[in-house]
Amino acid sequence: MIEIIQSKHWIEWLINIAKFAFAFVPVLFILLLIPLERRGAGFIQDRQGPNRSYFRLPYFGKIRLFGWVHNASDGLKLFFKENYAPHGVNKLLFLLAPAIPFAVVLIAPAVIPWFAPMVFTFGEEVIRISGQNVNTDVGLLLLFAISALSAYGAVLAGWASKSKYSLLGGLRTTAMIISYEVCLGISIMGILLLAGSFRLDQIIAWQDAHVWGVVAQPVAFFCFLIAMIAETGRAPFDVAEGEPELVAGFHTEYGAMQFGLFYMGEYSHIGINSILVSILFFGGYSIPFVSTSTIQSNVGISLGVLAFVFVFAILAFLHLLYRYSRYLKKSSYANKSAILREYSLYKIVGWAAAALLLAAGVISIMYFKPAYTLIDGQAVYGIGVALGTAFIQILVLLAKAVFFCWVWIWIRWTLPRFRYDHVMNLGWKVILNVAIVNLVITAFIVKLIGD
Amino acid sequence: MVRQVKQKPMNWIEKLYIFEAFRGLYVTLKHALRGVFRYETLPTVPYPEQKPEINHAYRAKHRLMLRPDGSPRCVACQMCATACPAKCIYIEASTSADGRIEKSIQRFDIDHLVCVFCGLCVEACPVDAIRMDTRETSYVHRDRQSFITSMEELMDWDPKDYPEDDFQSQVAPGGKRNKEALDSWGLKVN
Amino acid sequence: MSNYYDMPKLPTAESPKVAIFVDGQETFVPGDTNLLEALKAVGIETPSICYHPFLPVSGNCRQCLVEQEGPRGRSLIISCFTPVSPGMKVFTPKTSLRVKNARKATNEFMLVNHPLDCPICDKAGECSLQANYMESGHDSRLRENIGKHYHGSPDHAFIDSKGQTRGGKQVVLGPRVTLDEERCVQCDRCVRFMRFVAGDEQLQLASRGDSTYITTFPGQELDHEYDLCVTDVCPVGALTANNFRFQQRVWMLSRTPSVSMDDSLGANLWIDHNHGKIWRLMPRCNPEVNRSWISNTSRLAYLNFDKDRLEAAPIETLQSTVFAAKKVAIVAGGACTLEDLAAIKALQESLGAKAELFGGTSIPVVEPDGISKSGDPLANRAGFKAMQVPDANLQELLQKISDFDTLITIHSDLIGEDPTFEKLKQIPNRIVLSAFKDCTANAATLAFGVKHWTEVSGSMINSLQILQKLNAAPTAPNGDLKPAYQVLFALAGIEITEVSAAWKQVQDRIPTLKAYQRDSILSTGLKLEGVV
Ligand code: SF4
Ligand code: SF4
Ligand code: SF4
Ligand code: SF4
Ligand code: FES
Repeated sequence: MIEIIQSKHWIEWLINIAKFAFAFVPVLFILLLIPLERRGAGFIQDRQGPNRSYFRLPYFGKIRLFGWVHNASDGLKLFFKENYAPHGVNKLLFLLAPAIPFAVVLIAPAVIPWFAPMVFTFGEEVIRISGQNVNTDVGLLLLFAISALSAYGAVLAGWASKSKYSLLGGLRTTAMIISYEVCLGISIMGILLLAGSFRLDQIIAWQDAHVWGVVAQPVAFFCFLIAMIAETGRAPFDVAEGEPELVAGFHTEYGAMQFGLFYMGEYSHIGINSILVSILFFGGYSIPFVSTSTIQSNVGISLGVLAFVFVFAILAFLHLLYRYSRYLKKSSYANKSAILREYSLYKIVGWAAAALLLAAGVISIMYFKPAYTLIDGQAVYGIGVALGTAFIQILVLLAKAVFFCWVWIWIRWTLPRFRYDHVMNLGWKVILNVAIVNLVITAFIVKLIGD
Repeated sequence: MVRQVKQKPMNWIEKLYIFEAFRGLYVTLKHALRGVFRYETLPTVPYPEQKPEINHAYRAKHRLMLRPDGSPRCVACQMCATACPAKCIYIEASTSADGRIEKSIQRFDIDHLVCVFCGLCVEACPVDAIRMDTRETSYVHRDRQSFITSMEELMDWDPKDYPEDDFQSQVAPGGKRNKEALDSWGLKVN
Repeated sequence: MSNYYDMPKLPTAESPKVAIFVDGQETFVPGDTNLLEALKAVGIETPSICYHPFLPVSGNCRQCLVEQEGPRGRSLIISCFTPVSPGMKVFTPKTSLRVKNARKATNEFMLVNHPLDCPICDKAGECSLQANYMESGHDSRLRENIGKHYHGSPDHAFIDSKGQTRGGKQVVLGPRVTLDEERCVQCDRCVRFMRFVAGDEQLQLASRGDSTYITTFPGQELDHEYDLCVTDVCPVGALTANNFRFQQRVWMLSRTPSVSMDDSLGANLWIDHNHGKIWRLMPRCNPEVNRSWISNTSRLAYLNFDKDRLEAAPIETLQSTVFAAKKVAIVAGGACTLEDLAAIKALQESLGAKAELFGGTSIPVVEPDGISKSGDPLANRAGFKAMQVPDANLQELLQKISDFDTLITIHSDLIGEDPTFEKLKQIPNRIVLSAFKDCTANAATLAFGVKHWTEVSGSMINSLQILQKLNAAPTAPNGDLKPAYQVLFALAGIEITEVSAAWKQVQDRIPTLKAYQRDSILSTGLKLEGVV
């Protein structure tokens, strides 16, 4: 016991334990994704999207946070509703089923590399910390294995609900997950061949060194994306829920937070899958043409640039706010003064944040000049640089992931549902074959070029 | 007659689906970005704050038309109650006090929770006594009982809210043509 | 108007069949009746206004025109006043445009100064004029701008808001009947009814030509016991009954055929009801029994059918009292159906020697009025006899009061009918099965509410030995109420919820009824031979 504890420096322990927080990143995605989906869908369909609920602040009045409060209160409502099980269900499985997909999304992030392996000097010692929670050679396989488990949630729910709709939904989920897991596996073989490893950080490192996966394996990327969407069971592949014919598929009989868990599991799953897509095909945490060492040596400037990007985003947002406020003032809305009042809060916060970030950026550029020591001919920096770099890389990864989340939503609200047989056709007859051809060609090229 | 609508056959690019899918994605993206960057141009209005203009022809809450002396035009014929598919009109008739008129209403209730706003009652009325042109589309009460609108409520409207060329509304007390209508209405009775 | 008119002769099952030619086709029709009835018997309806099967024919409206081929060619004749003669050739609108146009013209003529306020006319929906208008093609040449002109009694005229002369909209003829002179088509049915059926010429057609109007003799009013029948015979909405006026529209009513249980003739009724409320009782045509007539007493009785009703009680309370009794007097009252009587018998059998049956009423039997009343207030007297329930031994009960410790009365208001029955209060347990809170119920120790006869299905035998069916109108004020027979059978230990099961019990007790299924009894009843 003592040896184990002593085998690592205390700062290493600290950071490693802190890394467990990453397990909750996909869950936190829900907070972003649900408003994004619901208002995004609204805008796509020229609607307003949910924006009614609010909380009150003393001077600013009703604060709606652009609909975020509405979604939060919907979640709250689910949370406080009565848990209800219909007569005749298998109680144990019925209660267990929703927990499975949700548990999976807590485990799955363990193998995701959130930042490049940290190497930094701390006092006398050189500390190395990997970007994953579980530093294993079979990273990707583990991820697939775990996330495929979430099918059990649907299957058990379908079985336990004692309802024909649920059972059919569960069966369809099984069939679909089996079909698309195959496509999923085969479509990424190419990139695995190129990178020569199942380790996600290796794959990122290869992309960092060569090109992004999407450039090297464009066909694989599309196959993978489609298979991923199918695997999360969302439109246009939502045959498992299939509102027109199966009421709500496997979770027909669920209500309240049990349904909420399925729902949250689905969104977290999207989060994980978007992270995975960005890792496999979009270089994960790496920034094109900017290697980790470049960031490290110019950490002050990098942080400064990051701050400026944020400042720009905030200013753009403020611009929209001001423009809309001007429009509101002229309009005849009954509640325009209330909205303007609410907006004044956002304006204050926005300006304050912009000013702070600007100052932070300037300060970081001017004064963050890291010192380094050379170890084995490589520059190794202190802990500040390492954490700064990790921070930038996490944000980069999340930014890519959020974009893919939007892709998920975007596709859902664009494409009409496939019929069940079309889904199977597409999976087995198109995507699988395309992926296999792609794999064979890649293998040839890899063999020819050699490495 | 059966009309056959010929669909243009899809060309091979369209049959591939993927390019058409991208086209669709482009369309939805345009709309989404419009929502974010040009929020005010959304064709939908935020309802309770901004109410759309409702036409008088819209089938809204009912009203009972009035004679120049303020009594209801309704002759209690129950044609509306007969036509009503929701059976939500309840009428009690009585002999009218005015000798020229046989029948008048004692009670005229419309249960607006049951009403399906089909407008058949308006069509059925032989004397233009019931109309649905109040433009009142949302009325909220705390209990079911209050949704049963009584004769008094149905007769409680103001001619000023109605167009000036709407003769039937303007002959009611307070209306533009009430006086002239009263004069011809008040023909001798014996 | 003192013409003498003939009563129409109606076809019966025994009528000889003769061949006539209708629209060129040989048709066999009843030979001993008028053409209108004969055509009706073969399914050809002829519009009519003034013809009524139970009133003398006057043939004044000319609505029932058909064409007949005679020696001088084809001519229009009124079918209601033309007897059928073998081999006659008649033509209906089916082949004769002339008939069609003539009927339409007649109809239009009647409508010239007719107010056409059908929306507020109580007759609308059952109005002959409306029916004829629809039949004649409902495309009248009458235009709104021609206007109406009232020619009748100058005292009743007024000018309406459109400047037309109108009049006589609400003429009070008597305490129960209101006249609308504009709607009257001068068919004189009401006059004929009062003269030939009621036997009291209270209504008259006054004036002549298009000024004719219906009125009473000066200073008199229409107040006959049968005056409400004129509102039935009136083919249009001219005569309206005050009790029903403006209450409901007729198409909103459901009709249940039943039998009036206040007289042993058992006048046939329509119970017109909706939303669980009776709105009117109408005579139901039964040529053997009450034809189309019904007395005001029977007709207006419904006004009290939903008043002062008794509540149902749990049957256990009855059972405990009845089974603890030492000597029981069971009294059957006038409105008891055969089923009720069978249940009374069943109860008596189950109680054995403890029980003694009484029956009858203290209301005196009067002379029959020859229209719809036999004068005997014990409606089911023939049924009592057939069931061997005493029908006139109430006085015995008074004499033997001290023998009994329990009294059960069924549909029998002993005290209300004869106050000397107050003495019954000496009996310690007084159970009353009744629909109403009547005097007997008020004096009871246990008043048990049951369904009124309008609300039960059952049967009765009238004074003409006709077995007639009562049908239940869904108008019971309270869903807990049960028919009396159901309660009594339950007391006797027999579980019966359906009237068909009760009918079986009746058949067990009256063997001659064995042959008849309840469902096979026609609505006009079944003439029994030798039941009693
Ligand atoms: S609008 Fe339709 S449902 Fe409503 S009261 Fe009129 S007829 Fe009945
Ligand atoms: S149809 Fe018109 S006149 Fe007749 S009862 Fe209805 S509102 Fe009154
Ligand atoms: S009597 Fe009444 S229902 Fe018949 S036509 Fe005249 S107004 Fe209409
Ligand atoms: S009141 Fe009626 S029955 Fe009498 S004459 Fe006139 S229409 Fe005929
Ligand atoms: S019905 Fe024949 S003339 Fe009137």
